Amino acid sequence: MRNVRREVMALLGISLLPGVSMAQGIPGTPGTKPAAKPVINPPPTAKDWADIAKLPDWSGVWTHVRSDQDRQMKTNPPPWNEKAAKVIEWQYAEERAGRPPPLFQNCLPEAMPAWMLVTHNAMEFAFYPGRVLMLGESDSARLRRIYTDGRGHTDDPDPTFHGESIGKWDGENLQVDTIAMHPQNYIAISEAQGIPNGGDMHIKERMYLAKPDVWADEMTITAPKVLTKPWVTTRIYYRQRLRRLDIVEGTCLEGYFKPAADKDGYPTWEKVSHDPYGNRTPPK
Amino acid sequence: MKTALKQTLCMSALLGLGAAAYPVSAHHSTTMFAHDKVVSISGVVKEVHWTNPHVAIYVEGAAKGDKPATWVLEMTSPGNLMRAGTWKRNSFKPGDKVDVDMAPLREGGKGGALKKITNTESGMSLNANLREQEGVVEK
Repeated sequence: MRNVRREVMALLGISLLPGVSMAQGIPGTPGTKPAAKPVINPPPTAKDWADIAKLPDWSGVWTHVRSDQDRQMKTNPPPWNEKAAKVIEWQYAEERAGRPPPLFQNCLPEAMPAWMLVTHNAMEFAFYPGRVLMLGESDSARLRRIYTDGRGHTDDPDPTFHGESIGKWDGENLQVDTIAMHPQNYIAISEAQGIPNGGDMHIKERMYLAKPDVWADEMTITAPKVLTKPWVTTRIYYRQRLRRLDIVEGTCLEGYFKPAADKDGYPTWEKVSHDPYGNRTPPK
Repeated sequence: MKTALKQTLCMSALLGLGAAAYPVSAHHSTTMFAHDKVVSISGVVKEVHWTNPHVAIYVEGAAKGDKPATWVLEMTSPGNLMRAGTWKRNSFKPGDKVDVDMAPLREGGKGGALKKITNTESGMSLNANLREQEGVVEK
């Protein structure tokens, strides 16, 4: 009972420690530190919206250039450390044997930086005052959120799949600084070659239009646990504007199932069997 | 334990790829298919799974001189197929008579990566080549 009371009081923000006022932190209370003024995101002004119109035109649907991804595997591989290089060598051998290592089969986000490096799905951009959103076709609504409102990185942010991205427009370029990514996130050069970054990864990006319909992401990836030096690599995407090619929903887990009917005849999803490498199993 | 097996298990453990991590589709490489080979079959569409991240068409058919079987033909995602040509979810339907070219599974099962599929009655033909759309980059 005592524990329950303690938890309820804690939830209400009431301290059980002697000598500590429940009013601690309230401005004007003698002997207490005034609470920091909360930071708010102000509502966008008409000028903020007008400034959006001055940014480069990144509208349309952007699809990765697959042949360039393939080329870069050979021409600009990451500077893997010795341990990682051995794993990569094993992964190549497995692929040659027809057993591609299933890096992304769990349907968790490909995450940063693998999304930008090896995606096989299109994306689009949305500009709002104070942020740039990247909306991918995969993983239902894969999202990167890049803050461009002048803020810096937060203190000790929680690690996430896409990390904490702070952007700054520099003329036609968007400079992005990303930290706080899960150590499990792959630095991948294909869907079958990649190494978890291991932590302390830092990514700097310069995003820009290399040509009117070619968007480029020049990345400098620093990952001291698996790379011997920062890896500079660029990925390119091409633009399409046909309405019939607009982004569609793409839910990764959908591939587990096929449409079926339950015992009462209602539509349902039925599991589909797959081989160890992610391919649907042919019926025996 | 044999060295090769031991090495494989060590690498798998390092990558978090234990047996329990295997039973799903999701994003995967296509090197389980022999892309340097082509197997052609003729048959009838049984099922179409217009699902992410890989569409599949099941065809009851046979290669020349072979016994009929159900083949599973894998492709890329619906969005990618739309952008790779004029694919729609009902471009091919159960009951359609088709000719199919595929890169077969290396291990010899009845499956492959679809390269081209043709409705033998209408003559309508589609492939799944994403790279054909990349011309804009070279301009």
